[in-house]
Formats: sequence, structure tokens, C-alpha cells
Amino acid sequence: MRTIQEQILAGNRRNFFGDVGVRLGGLALGMLAGESVFGNGVGARPADRVHPPLPGLPHFSPTAKSIIYLHMNGGPSQLDTWDYKPGLQEYFDKDIPASIQGGQRLSTMTSGQSRFPVAPSKFKFEQSGESGIWINKELLPFTSEIVDEISLIKTVHTNAINHDPACTFVMTGSEIPGKASIGSWLAYGLGSENNDLPAFVVFTPQFPSDSNGQAIYNRMWGSGFLPTRFNGVALRGSGDPVLYLPNPDGVSRTDRRVMLDALEQLNHRTLENFGDPETVTRIAQYEMAFRMQASVPDLTDISQETEETMTMYGPDAKVPGTFAHSALLARRLVERGVRAVQILHRGWDQHGSLPYQLGNQCRQTDQASAALVRDLKQRGMLENTLVVWGGEFGRTVYSQGTLTKDDYGRDHHPRNYCMWMAGGGVKGGYVHGETDEFSYNVVENPVHVNDLNATILHCLGIDHERFSFKFQGLDQRLTGVEKQKVIHEVLA
Amino acid sequence: MIFLLERFLPAVFRGRPNLLFILVVMSAVWTIPNGLFGQDSIQFNRDIRPILADKCFACHGLDAANREADLRLDTAEGSREEHYGSAAVVPNDLEQSQLWIRINAEDPDERMPPADSHKIISEDEKLLLRRWIEEGATYQKHWSFEPPVAVKLPDVSDGISNPVDAFIVDRLRREGLAMANEADKHILIRRAAFALTGLPPSPAEVHAFLLDNSPDAYEKQVDRYLESAHFGEEMARHWLDVARYADTHGLHLDNERQMWAWRDWVVQSFNGNKRFDEFTVEQLAGDLLPEPTLDQLTATGFNRCNVTSSEGGSIDAELLYRYAVDRTSTMSQTWMGLTAGCAVCHDHKFDPVSQREFYSLYAFFNSAADPAMDGNTLLTEPSLKLVSQADQEKLDDLARQRTGLLEQIEIQAAQIAYVDPAGIQPRPEAVEVETVWMDDEFPPGSQAKASPGHPTTFVSVTDGSSVFSGERALKRTDAGLAQDVWEQASTPLVVPADATIFAHVFLSADSLPQTIMLQFYKNGWLHRALWGDYGVIPWGAPNTTEKVSMGPMPEAGRWVRLEIPVGKIGLQAGDLLTGFAVTQFGGTVLWDKIGVTGTSDPASDPQQSFQAWWKQVEGKDVPGLPGELNAVAKAGPDSSPDEKMRDRLLAWYLHTVCSETRPQFAEIDSQITQLDTARDAINMAIPSTFIYRNVPQPRDSFVMMRGQYDKPGDKVEPGIPAILPPLELASDTSRATRLDLARWLVSPDHPLTARVAVNRFWQQFFGTGLVKTSGDFGTQGELPSHPELLDWMAVKFRDSGWDVKELVRLIVTSGTFRQSSRMTSETFTRDPENRLLARGPRLRLDAEQIRDNALFVSGLINLEIGGKGVNPYQPENIWEPVGFAGSNTRFYKQDSGPALYRRSLYTFYKRTAPPPFMMNFDAPNREQSCTRRERSNTPLQALQLMNDVQHVEAARALAQRMLIDGGATADERIAFAWRTVLSREPDAIETATLKGQLEQHLDRYQKNPEDASRLVMLGESKPAENLAVPELAAWTLVASTILNLDETLNRN
Repeated sequence: MRTIQEQILAGNRRNFFGDVGVRLGGLALGMLAGESVFGNGVGARPADRVHPPLPGLPHFSPTAKSIIYLHMNGGPSQLDTWDYKPGLQEYFDKDIPASIQGGQRLSTMTSGQSRFPVAPSKFKFEQSGESGIWINKELLPFTSEIVDEISLIKTVHTNAINHDPACTFVMTGSEIPGKASIGSWLAYGLGSENNDLPAFVVFTPQFPSDSNGQAIYNRMWGSGFLPTRFNGVALRGSGDPVLYLPNPDGVSRTDRRVMLDALEQLNHRTLENFGDPETVTRIAQYEMAFRMQASVPDLTDISQETEETMTMYGPDAKVPGTFAHSALLARRLVERGVRAVQILHRGWDQHGSLPYQLGNQCRQTDQASAALVRDLKQRGMLENTLVVWGGEFGRTVYSQGTLTKDDYGRDHHPRNYCMWMAGGGVKGGYVHGETDEFSYNVVENPVHVNDLNATILHCLGIDHERFSFKFQGLDQRLTGVEKQKVIHEVLA
Repeated sequence: MIFLLERFLPAVFRGRPNLLFILVVMSAVWTIPNGLFGQDSIQFNRDIRPILADKCFACHGLDAANREADLRLDTAEGSREEHYGSAAVVPNDLEQSQLWIRINAEDPDERMPPADSHKIISEDEKLLLRRWIEEGATYQKHWSFEPPVAVKLPDVSDGISNPVDAFIVDRLRREGLAMANEADKHILIRRAAFALTGLPPSPAEVHAFLLDNSPDAYEKQVDRYLESAHFGEEMARHWLDVARYADTHGLHLDNERQMWAWRDWVVQSFNGNKRFDEFTVEQLAGDLLPEPTLDQLTATGFNRCNVTSSEGGSIDAELLYRYAVDRTSTMSQTWMGLTAGCAVCHDHKFDPVSQREFYSLYAFFNSAADPAMDGNTLLTEPSLKLVSQADQEKLDDLARQRTGLLEQIEIQAAQIAYVDPAGIQPRPEAVEVETVWMDDEFPPGSQAKASPGHPTTFVSVTDGSSVFSGERALKRTDAGLAQDVWEQASTPLVVPADATIFAHVFLSADSLPQTIMLQFYKNGWLHRALWGDYGVIPWGAPNTTEKVSMGPMPEAGRWVRLEIPVGKIGLQAGDLLTGFAVTQFGGTVLWDKIGVTGTSDPASDPQQSFQAWWKQVEGKDVPGLPGELNAVAKAGPDSSPDEKMRDRLLAWYLHTVCSETRPQFAEIDSQITQLDTARDAINMAIPSTFIYRNVPQPRDSFVMMRGQYDKPGDKVEPGIPAILPPLELASDTSRATRLDLARWLVSPDHPLTARVAVNRFWQQFFGTGLVKTSGDFGTQGELPSHPELLDWMAVKFRDSGWDVKELVRLIVTSGTFRQSSRMTSETFTRDPENRLLARGPRLRLDAEQIRDNALFVSGLINLEIGGKGVNPYQPENIWEPVGFAGSNTRFYKQDSGPALYRRSLYTFYKRTAPPPFMMNFDAPNREQSCTRRERSNTPLQALQLMNDVQHVEAARALAQRMLIDGGATADERIAFAWRTVLSREPDAIETATLKGQLEQHLDRYQKNPEDASRLVMLGESKPAENLAVPELAAWTLVASTILNLDETLNRN
């Protein structure tokens, strides 16, 4: 027998990943889309989706269905990876000209230095691909082979000069904790195609023990003011990939089925007694949990990957908890229709011993990052998957601490740094923006972090200005209250 | 559509409401909760302001900087002002009102709001605006800024005695609805128990309640819960969210901070029914009260709950600015429901708080005494040590005993016939000496410390370890930089002449470190000797005696003696060392027998000759020497001191320094060490807590342009927004204080504080506030569903002396709260969110309640109140993947024993990786103030409740209770569990369902007993031994089913 509530819900199902209670942002969007928001307070949603999109989203036809965001946490040195400055060799150990430095804010780690000697990169850069993009081929040999797939943005800039606020900023559009992360926004707005996995998945792989590993924060994949069901779900490299996923010791899948059958019968009685639609949702959530217990192990079982694929990602790909393994799983997630995947790799904060540490960082990430792009391309998935690579800020041209030709450190530099994007509607083999000869100031086409995020949203079919959530009296946006712009030049 | 409305609307409004009108208004009920039903005239605050605020004020509101066309619509004057010969609003004249013309304009360039605002005025809204203009376009001050007035209770008669019900019933009648019946008694008591204590009722309580047929049985039960010590815990939970309380600093390293005494103060305040006005004043300005008590100072921790940083490179001014902004916003939202945060950067577009006014509020908090950098320490000053009477007495007693022993030392020393070798003729010969500093133990009278997460570990010959000398050796394994440190020695180590420091080290060949290092403290950690990779140790100026390379790594796989000629690391004969450290980067290292060799010429050896020692310390401070003796020692032997002082100094020397006589004091020293250990243990257990104070000289405050810390604009003084009642100063000093601010908030004519507080309490009991946006009472917030009720309660609360328990009693004894929560298809369709309250609240339990319930019904719970946060079960790798290498909350160390079963309120809250059982059920991460939690319903929650060891163990413990206390038959046992968990008897179908489940599990576990034993052994507590394991396992899954029931997880 179906109760009235079940009948209502059958035609208007609630989000499996949580009670809907769409708040004003959603409501407003629903109205814009001309859909009914009255009745039971829930806009009409695709009935068979566990993670349905908001009504009216995407705003327009997307060029990317999914995103894989590779966050290099700590501030990778743009000067030693992508921003080639051959002219610096003659400035070795000379102070950076005042005209360049321009009295800009410095972090207090170097603001007390008496000198600001230029440290040219010790690495050899080469032009790569048909596009001839300059790259440090010594440290990024694999990435150098995919430059024709990427749009390199050399002029990303941010507001924050320290890690915690800068990470919070690049991920949430605000330096102050409490805002929603980009993946949460996407899960909230677009939902996900996969009914058995979370919409937004995060990896926090190992990093070299002798690199300078800064902390990362749950807020970087947190939902902030959005309902908590839009939090990123951290798929873990050790322990259970999803928290509390396996049955307890001594409990088999059959035992669980027996238990769930009894539970469902009893919950149906509760539904009859109280008539609360939340009970229907709960019954469905237990079933979903049961399905996840099968779908997640299937996701992490890479035994069916071909030898060729495994070779492409490198030997680490077999080791859970590595960057390469995470990258491979990222592809498997996107393949299954998961909306947003993020890999946060730590250890990119090279205040000293930069050449040595950066080498370690690149060794752990270069091959798998490139493999991910190639793998997606081979499978025809790159055209609708956006891959993003970058950190929270760049590093200074002047050295911090010891400076020799082969050894130096660099402090934080928020005024310009490099990020790249590939696939999902982005041009290949394209370089955007230019910095001065010291990689210290943007001279052409600055791209603010919020512009970048607006562009990412755009690729996923979202107009960042129309994508808001009412909180604390403001229409909160990922891209903040200031006017931001989509970087149309990088779009294919 | 517009065209159609133009044609049809006049008829609609001139006539009686017809179908179209009803349809329009019915829809509005769900977007504007108080609706229009039964209302005759347009009210600006209810009907018009929300439209204008959302669609128009961004460009035509308070914010002068962004005002377009010089038009403002937020005031009557502004709306009527003529521009180019016409006004936006001409009362009673639709055709002449530009507002009406522009919102209906066909030309996109003319139409308002402009397309790029993405704002659209709906047809419903146009209707309202039209009526408003036609009815005279009157303005009102925003409702929440008007003082609440206690309106007369609606006359609903029918024997309704609770005033809350009068308002609710009145509204329901106007909606054509009625209250539901009272909930069944078993539902009622469980609802009240969770609402007031966060715990379920015990079966005995339920039994007694069901038997009590007196008319006030429920009221009496409520009173018992109000008097329960758990009342304060449940109430505090909600306040902790608002106050953003946690056990770590929150930013960067996210190290532990100690301020749980503040959390306990909140619990006690609710239990003691502290008046809400005092509760307010003490938290915001307890330090400014005359002769504040320890409790009042503890209360000021509210303003220290914000996140802080100590990230290297941060700019002090920026951090201080952020902290003050956070405190201002939190205060504003907590007490006034105003989201002042927007005014940080610009004039508030919607609410009448200008940027200047925001910074006037900020000026109250801009003189905080805590530093910009929190130092990553447990106690960032200012803090307060909370010494109890009993502890103080114990400490005094220990101090007395210690003084006695020190006197005894002097007496004993006076009896030693000491002959200074310096005075002996012929001069004694020099000899070789060896002093061992560490072998089996660190030197006495000091503190041994280790890198966070890995305690100092000694291995012993008895466990088969390789040891170089004696019984034990120090051992450490780590992936990165790690060390053991010995410091603050009261008996310094003396460097002899021609000295060579030695240490024995054993490096694991399988786990080779990159670097090992020895480090010594002499007025600073400035003497380091290291072997192996020079670069990976970040400390010390390279190529100085602060960091000396001694060569490659010693051979692994055997004990190697390392030697450091002291001159090489900048030490010399006679230096007093008060600490040393052994450090490694990675690998596994054993250390043993560390000491020094050298020569000793008795006549010039400070450890043998008093004269030589005194000469050596002349002009220096001697660590550990009491002040007046230090002065004597420092003056030198030729200063001809007072004889008595000289003797005392000699006594100290003989006891502390002289190598020959020192051993004679071993016994007494060990007694002192014991006393000191006891003293330190007490001191360690005495909590300190963060408190709030001002710097002595207040900082100047400025309007910060665009919210940037380094762009000060006009200077501002502490003050409050003009729209609110004036601030009265306690003294005639010109500058307003935080105390003035706090008292102003709770002054009788403040329109917001009582309303906001009452609304949050209401939200606590009904799930949704009368104002749904409980953190936003401004124009962007929702209007109250029952404005008269809100005002009546606010006035009542204030006039009752801010009596929280009385208010809570009023709410939970109301018929409204006591209604059955059963939804009929009519009430569900009509009011899905239950804003009209034609039924009782049915809410999913909060995160803490869910866990506490499982612990309670299983009998595992430990109901101890208060104290330091505890670390219950947590899956592996919650902290570690996000933790900073140097953070002291990098590694999660799970507690064991009773601490595992404490109430969830006491779970240690690490902000950058909060407890997953909390996050999974919508608890905030406590980085920002949170006035309202979501209530989500997710598969991750189902996984947790089925599989988390905490819940599995609770199911097993409950199963065990069912088997031991529940009776002999399955029916009885199921009934027992049902009574324990759901406060009622099961019906036949429920029993049959579980019995059917049980049979299947029994069959399976009898065939697979090893699976049964694995299941029942989960968790730290162990099952009773006399139970048949397959049976217990089968019942465990039955109990787990009961703990996972929707009925269990809800306050029904």
C-alpha cells in the first residue's frame, strides 16, 4: 500500500543525498526557470536522479560535464615550471630593481631581508609540442608532451599572501572560512550523473616527506553555507575509501540484506504512524548505502585496467594513496559520471632547497598528470572533462635564504602564477597572459582567481553571476561580489 | 501576462476575493510565511519591503556609494522625491508612479530591475506593489527595529491556558485549521527528554510517567528535566554552535587550545538558570565588571572562540583586523540577528547599518589584548588559571614540605667538613673525568619532551632490544624531523676542561635516517652537531657553531661512539648546560650513554673547588639559584659578602654543584623530586582558559575602505547604529566600553536581543524559528510566521528577568509542543514545513543526540560532566591527511576506557578536521558562528549508523542487556529493547518482523561461529563471557536494526 506521502514523492522525489528544503537561491532559480516552486516547496526534479541538478541548470549547454581539479598545495614556483625568463641569468644575485618590486606587500618571512637577490631558475627550459610552449622539461618531461592539449594561464593572481587564506580563497572565492568550495557549488548546482557514488569526490594523496608540506583543510572541499550534503567526500588512500563503508567484521552482505529488509518493514510502519516523507527518504538512503557498499569497491578495483594504462600512469598507480593512483581513480570516477573530483597534493612550499624539493614534487605528479590527460583523450572523454592544474599562489623571483646557482628558495608571490586547464571546451596549445621579465607583475591579460573560477563554471554550463545562494543577507557567489569575467580567450 | 492582469485585476480587487485571488495568495503563503490570508490592507514591512529589498535596494537603497540615479526607495522621502519632474512613488496614483511604469516597461532599456541584475519582479509581487501604491504607499520602519510590544492575547477561549497556544490557535483558525491532538504519552516524554536533556528517558521514567494520571504529570516531568544536570549540556550544545567553540585554533597549524572551562561555564550557566542578560554581559564584558570573579572572566572566552593563526609570514595588522571583524560580526549576529558582515566592505545594501556604523561596533573589539599570532600554543594570552580551593591547599602543603626539605639541605650542608682544593698545599694533581648525562634515564630535575605525536620511548634489554649500556636505550622512528628534548634543568651539566662530548648511537640499517643531530642548550639552543645530510635540518645559521657538520652518517647496524670536541660547537670549560636534544630526520635511531669526558684540576675545577666555581660564575646569573643568593654569587668571591650569605651559597654549592658532596644529597633530592612531580601533576591538571581583555591603551579604529586591513579611512569611535536606541554610558568617560555595549544589548528598549534569543530557543524546540532565518532579522531575513507571538514572548522573557528556564518551560509545556506530529495528507500538502504548527514537531536527532542515544540505551554511556575534550572512536586518517607536519593535532590519539563513552558535547573538536560523526550529521565546523544546522538525510549517515564501531559496539551492548535483563523469550527481549529505545511496547507485527530477522541471523551464526565471535568482539568493551556467542551476534544485528530505525533517529 502506498501512503499519500509516498504517492506525492513518487512524482516528486527528494534528493537521495539529503532532504531538499531548497533554500532561496534554489527557489529563485526555480522561478527563473519557470518551474513550480510551490506545492511542497520542492522544485520539480528529474525523478530518477540521486543527485539531481537545480531546476534551470545548467544555464546553457556546457562544454564540460565533469571537472578534475589537481591542486598543487603550497604554491608551485612558476619561475621553475612554466614562466620562462631567460633574461634573468644576468641578474643572478643582483637585487630586484625597485621599479619592479614597486613597494608591494611582502610576507613577513622575507620582508625583513636586507636584500632581494634575483634567483634565476637553475633548470633548462625547452619549447614543446607543435605549439612550442616553453616548459621546464627537466622536471616536467611527461607534461611537456601534452602541452598541445592545454591552455596555460601565466597571469593568475590572488588576494592572499599566506597559505591558509590563499587556499581558502582559490577554493571558495573568499579568504575567510565559511564559504562553499568550488566542488560543492558544482554538486549543488549540477548534481551528478552517478546514482551510486557521491557527486563530489576528493583525494589527499601522500607527498614527499622531505618537502615542505603545508596543511590542507576540510573547508577546501567543504560546503560552507550550502547544505552539508554537498561536502566533498574524501576517498581515502588508506583505511576505507568511504567512511564507514564496509560492514563490521563478521557481518556479510547477506546478513546486511536480512537486516535491511527488517529495517525497511519496520520503517514502513513508522511511515504509516507518522506520515513523514523523511521516512521515505531514509528508507531510500539505506538502500543507497547498500548499493554504495558494492559500487565503491568496484570503483577502487583497478585490476581490470590494461597494462598499457598502468604503464602510462607509472608504477605508483598501483599503490593506494599515491598521486598516480588518485589520478587513475579520478578518471574512473569521471567515467562513472561523477561531477567533480579534486586531488590535493601537498608539499609545494619551497622557501629553501627549491630545486631539490621541486624535483621530488614533480616526480610524484608529472607523469600521472600527463597520463590523466592522455588517458581521457584516448577514451574520448577529454572533450567533456575539464582538467585544471595549479596552486594557491606563485613564488618570488628573489631568493629567500641561501642563494647559489643551484640552490635557492622562494617566498610567496600572489601577484602572478601559472595554472593550466585542458579539455572540456578549453583551447589546446594556447598561452594566455604575460608577466614582466622578472615574473613579478602581470603586464598583459591578468586573470584573477575569481575570473578563473568564473571560467570553470562557464565550461560547466553555469553563468557565475546567476549562480548564487542567499546567506547572511547576501546573494553569495563562488566568484564573490565584485564583477568577474569569464576568460573567453581560453575557450575553444 | 501583464496585459491580462491589467484587464482583470481591477475587478479582482474591487470585488470580493475570487478564485484567482485565492490562488495567488495561497501560493504566497509558502513563500511569505505569514501570508496574506485574512489580511485586508497592505503592510509595508510584511508585503512590500521584501520585494524592494531584494529587487531594488542594491541600487536604490542605503548604500550611497552605489546609488543609481540618486534615487532611494528605502525611505518614504526618497521614494517621493522628484527627478526630472516625476517621482518613483506618487501615493494613490499608479499612473504617475515611475516605479510602476518602469517595472512594467516593455523596452528593456527602460525596464526595472535591469536585465543584468538577473532580478525579476513576479506577477504576484507586482500585484502587491500596485495595491500598496493605490492604498497610499505608506512606509514602516523594518519590523525588527520597532520595539516589541506585548499585544493582548488573542481571545480563543476554549480553555486554552498557555499563551503560546492562544497565538498559534488564533492563526490556525484564521487559516481554517486546528491543532492536532496531544501526542501519546510515550512519545511526549521521549520528545521532552531529548529536547531538554539530549538523552532519551529511561524505561523507569517512562513507566512512572505513564502511571502518573495527575493532570500536571507532564509539567512535573518537564520540571524534573529542567532540574537535570543534563539540561545545561543540551542547552550549551546550541550555544557552542553560535559561539563557534572548538578545541583548536583553526588556522594553519590548527594546534590545540585550552578553553574548555568556558564550555563548562556555559553548561553551568544554563543549569544554574543564569539570567540571559547576565549571561550576555559576562560573555561580552565580564572583564570590565567591578572585581570580576573567576567565572565572569571565564565567560569572556566567548570572544576568544574565533579562529586564529600563527602562520609564518602573516601580517599582524591583517590578523588583528580579521579577529576584530569576526568578533563584531559574531556579536551582531548572535544578539541582534544582524548580518553586519556585509558592511565590512561597503554600506549595507539592505539593512540600515552603514559601513561607518559597522566600524563603530568594531571599535569595541579592536583593542583585544590577545596577539595577532596565536603562537600555536595551548594558551595564547590572556588566559586564566582556574585553581580550585582544594588544589590550592594541596599546592600550599607541597610548597611547605619543599621549604622544609630545602632548610634540611642547608642544615646537612653545614655539617659537611668541606675543604676547598684551591686552598690545599701542595696543589692536588689533575685527573681524567667522565660524567654521564644520560644512561637509562634523562638527568633528574628537568623536563623531557618529544616531538608531537610520538612520545619519548625507551627500549630495554628485557624486551630483547640492543642496548649499549645499562638497562635501557632511547629509541625513535619517524618519517620526518623528530626529536627528544631534555630541558630546563635545575642542576646544569658542567663542561670540564679539555672536554669532549660523547654519545652512543645505533642506526637501523633497514630504516636509515637522513640526518642525526645532537644539540645543547646554553642560554639558547645554539650549539648543534650533525651527521649526514646537512640541508634537511632547518635550524641554526649554517656554517656557524649553531650548525656544525661532523661528517657522514655513522655506520649502521652497530653501536657507534660519536665524539664532539666542545670547542667545535662553541662551548668551553665551565659552561653550564641546561638541556640537550637528540634529533633525527626519518629512520630509526637508538641513543645511549651520553656524557662528557675531560680533565679536572681540582683546584681550578668548578665542580670541586667552591672558589673556582664562584670565580667562574662571577658576573653571571646562575640557573636555579634563588634570587638573593644569585646576587651574592654574581658579585663574585672578592665582594666580601655577609658571612651567613656566603655559608648559604656554599651550602647550595655543596648540594648542587660539587661532584664530591652532591651524592650525599641523593636521598633528599629524590624527596624533592617527588614533591615536584606531585606539584607538577596538580598544576598540569589545573585548567587554564582563554579570556578576553583589552590592551591598556585602546587602539584607534578606522573605517576600512573596501574591507581592507591596510586601507584605513575615517577614524571612528565605539558606537552603535543610529537606527537602534541610543547607547548609555556607565561613566562619564567620553569613550564607550564593551560593558556599555553589552548592557545596551540587554536594555529594556533594545528591539532585537530578546526577540533573537527567544526565536533561537523556539528553533531549538520546533526545528525552525518563528523567524526561519534565525541569524538574520534584517530586511533580507524572513518575516516571522507569528509576529505577535514572537513579540509577546520577547517581552515576557525580558520582563521575567530574562529567565531562560521559565521561557523554556512555557514553550515545552504548550499544547503546541505537545501535539501529535502525525502528518495527514491535508496538513502535509497544506503546510509541508509545519510553519503554522497544526501538528507537533518531528525532527531528526542532532549528531550529538544520535551518538549519545546509542550510548545511553546500550548502557555504555559515561555521564560525567565537564572537563577537557576527549577523543572517542574515529576512523583512521581523519586528522593525518590534512595535518601540518609540526601540528600537535596531526595524529589522532584515541582515548580508551571510560573516555570513549563520554557525551558527544565533550568530543575534542579539531576545526580543520572535525569529528566525522558530527559532520556527517550536519554539525558545523565551528569556523564561523552557526545559528542553525541543516537536517540532511544521506546514505553516508546510514553507513555510519550501521558500521561505525561506536554503533556496532552499542548494538552489542544493547543485545547483551536484552539477553541478560530482557527476559527469557525473544518476545520479552524485543519488548525490553523497544521500551529502552522507543519508550513503548512493540506491536505484534514489529515483534514478528524482528523475530524473523533473528531466526535468519541465528541460523547463519550457528553455522559460522567464527564470524559471530568477530562481530561480538568489536569495540573496546568486551561481551559478558557466559553468553552464547552466535546468539549474542544474532541479537547484535537485531539491536543494530533497532538503533537504525527511523523512529529511533527521530524526536517523534
